[in-house]
Amino acid sequence: QFLPSNPPPPRRPLAYAESNESEEERNFRKVFQQLAGDDMEVSPNELMNILNKIISKHADLKTDGFSIESCRSMVAVMDSDSTGKLGFHEFKHLWNNIKKWQGVYKSYDRDHSGTIGADELPAAFRAAGFPLTDQLFQMIIRRYSDENGNMDFDNYIGCLVRLDAMCCAFKTLDKDNDGMIKVNVQEWLQLTMYS
Amino acid sequence: MSGIASKLQQNRARAAGIGTNAQAVKFLNQDYEGLKRECLEGGRLFQDDMFEANVTALGFKELGPNSSKVRGVEWLRPKQLTSNPTFISGGATRTDICQGALGDCWLLAAIASLTLNQDVFARVVPSAQSFDGDYAGIFHFQFWQFGEWVDVVIDDRLPTRKGELLFVHSAEGSEFWSALLEKAYAKLNGCYEALSGGSTTEGFEDFTGGIAEVHELSKPAPNLFKTIQKALSWGSLLGCSIDITSTADSEAITSQKLVKGHAYSVTGAEEVEFRGELTKLIRIRNPWGQVEWTGPWSDGSAEWRQICDGDRERLNSKAEDGEFWMSFTDFLRHYSRVEICNLTPDALTDDSVNKWALSKFDGNWRRGSTAGGCRNYPNSFWMNPQFLIKLEEQDDDPTDNETGCSFVVGLIQKNRRKMRKVGEDMNTIGFAIYEVPAENRSSVLLLQYVGQRNVHLDRNFFVRHASAARSETFINLREVCSRFCLPPGEYLIVPSTFEPNKDGDFCVRVFSEKQAEFQELDDPTKMNVPEIDIKEVDIDSRFRSLFGQLAGADCEISPFELQNILNKVITKRNKDGTGKLGLLEFKILWTKIEQFLDIYCKNDKDKSGTMSSGELREAIEKSGFSLNNALHQIMVARYSDSNLMIDFDNFVSCLLRLECMFKAFKILDKDNDGTVELNLMEWLNVSLL
Repeated sequence: QFLPSNPPPPRRPLAYAESNESEEERNFRKVFQQLAGDDMEVSPNELMNILNKIISKHADLKTDGFSIESCRSMVAVMDSDSTGKLGFHEFKHLWNNIKKWQGVYKSYDRDHSGTIGADELPAAFRAAGFPLTDQLFQMIIRRYSDENGNMDFDNYIGCLVRLDAMCCAFKTLDKDNDGMIKVNVQEWLQLTMYS
Repeated sequence: MSGIASKLQQNRARAAGIGTNAQAVKFLNQDYEGLKRECLEGGRLFQDDMFEANVTALGFKELGPNSSKVRGVEWLRPKQLTSNPTFISGGATRTDICQGALGDCWLLAAIASLTLNQDVFARVVPSAQSFDGDYAGIFHFQFWQFGEWVDVVIDDRLPTRKGELLFVHSAEGSEFWSALLEKAYAKLNGCYEALSGGSTTEGFEDFTGGIAEVHELSKPAPNLFKTIQKALSWGSLLGCSIDITSTADSEAITSQKLVKGHAYSVTGAEEVEFRGELTKLIRIRNPWGQVEWTGPWSDGSAEWRQICDGDRERLNSKAEDGEFWMSFTDFLRHYSRVEICNLTPDALTDDSVNKWALSKFDGNWRRGSTAGGCRNYPNSFWMNPQFLIKLEEQDDDPTDNETGCSFVVGLIQKNRRKMRKVGEDMNTIGFAIYEVPAENRSSVLLLQYVGQRNVHLDRNFFVRHASAARSETFINLREVCSRFCLPPGEYLIVPSTFEPNKDGDFCVRVFSEKQAEFQELDDPTKMNVPEIDIKEVDIDSRFRSLFGQLAGADCEISPFELQNILNKVITKRNKDGTGKLGLLEFKILWTKIEQFLDIYCKNDKDKSGTMSSGELREAIEKSGFSLNNALHQIMVARYSDSNLMIDFDNFVSCLLRLECMFKAFKILDKDNDGTVELNLMEWLNVSLL
């Protein structure tokens, strides 16, 4: 079955959380403050700049850069209060996932083309924790890969962020764990439009 | 991270009754019963790793890790402090609460008032907790937080120095409910220091879920004494204080032993015959448990000898317990304000007292969509959330001359105290009340009759109508609250921030003397987009040959081809479709885009080439969609840029996706019952697109 990444621990009061964090967390918070600015929230534009700055340092990842559209989409699937921005916890969650998935990307790009080909994709996604059906893989390739079926790094991340968020959303709404969710039209539109 | 789904799940839980006092939300997901059982089975005392017993729980600045004030602090359990601790002995009384080294007198005054009402006390301090029997070092308390009750679990390690409790303690030193309650409240707010400096009304509300009003004593209402008496008999909680003129004045003691800038509780209001005249007296308590007023009517003063024995027996108090009487005239002269916390009907089990009727709604302001600002901004004010209240029955209070319906409106902004450390300030908030004139009223009712829930009123309504009442001011406090008395009718309450485009969450409550209907005015969610009716034979040859050129040999347009086409046409960025388009589908899409372009240009009033988020709402409506506030918020959050502008390609993708998702819902809702059921695979199939 699915292994969406673990949900973060419940939020502790800020003053408490801050004074109890490890050295690594403290450094991360400092970086975050620099990136997010005074409002301590990351907008799609800020996210795009951060991500593109980072991938420019990795020559072995093929990408035409994260587009503003895909950054908006990533923010949307993770934002829980429809402010259009990510807070510290959400950003950290995203960050850890990207680090993890980047490792998967490199090790499953077996021909070192810098992209994940259609044949490499199922194994890569399985390694990232998402063993999908063939039908879903086909759909993903249609939606996120280029005309030749190759997925570059920004699309790969965009797709996994969405997949992870949608699995979490399902789990959250399936409160009684019966494998089914039930939504009305307002909920449906909120879930599908904000993504 | 489940994004919007977590919000939806929260709404569902609330609708199912989570958040009431009987089903409080578990703070940090900690379950008291479960944790206690684990400790008892493991034969150990509870250690709370969510609020560890160390310096960080104390504070961040004055009580911060490097402060001299926290030197030598030891965290001890009551059993390490005294041989025979009790949770509550002889009932919870006001003398169980003596202030420690923390500036939270406002809180203590509220706790003190709490002990006057057993029903209210029992809701905050769940019964059956003790240091004997199944003691496991774990306790829990319930607080009201921005519209819902929260259950907070703590361990009983308390900060001490030299064997004495650092903060709240009982007079005898062996009773611990008040110190543990303070710890739970500190945990809820992040640390002890977060409790320093606040208003009694905040404490009142967090302990009762009631609504607190403030009366300034410099210009007292003519019937204030009566109001106080009535409030005391309605089980309301009351506090009072003296303003300071400078910070150096804080907790300064006057020659008559009154403490400035300090929160007192009001515990009684009586009239006695004194020198042949009825004299109004008021009883006040200092939460320090000492330092009492020394003027007329103070403990043992001469006035007491000149009243009848019965009255003296009834009222006299001589103990140095912090509680004292003074005349109401002196009270008005020396004190600056009285705060009255009206209780919700469920807090009062006694049938003999009058009870308020309560209605409450949660809502939010979001930049670009529902954060419309105050009435000074007529172009966006109407976009704020709107609430309708129907007042039908007049008060039946014979003692006042006012006729009409009395109600108290409280607008509370959420979760700001916890943010204090980041320097996030309160929003400046307030509200306006509009009478809904008969013609609008009938249309509202009519719409309900034909099955629409209600309709958000638009800009024109507010341009044409003046407000009937409003909050006294727009102010950056946690809560704005006012009492009104208006003739029966329908009224619209519009809460807002002062300036537009300030993000915020709020809870609006109405306490009315009589039952009143209260509902949010929000548009129904539906789509009324006419199908484009084109048959393949209707397509003219020019479009056909254009399509042939664009689509190439396979006679279908792939996303990549579509991207090229759209980019050429609008010379902007793209939004790809999925699958491929045939001739007919492409013609339909093309027709739609032309329609959208038309709407877009008409709504781009300043011809800037982009549309503002305010214009988006109207453009969406003109395109045949009716959306509720939550969805309008999402449209702006998802499709506007950092300056709250929407360019054409985002406008097109927004409308295309909306239509697509409305249709998908209809297809999935096979039995047409307004809900769809999906398993994970089906869900991923639709949500990954």
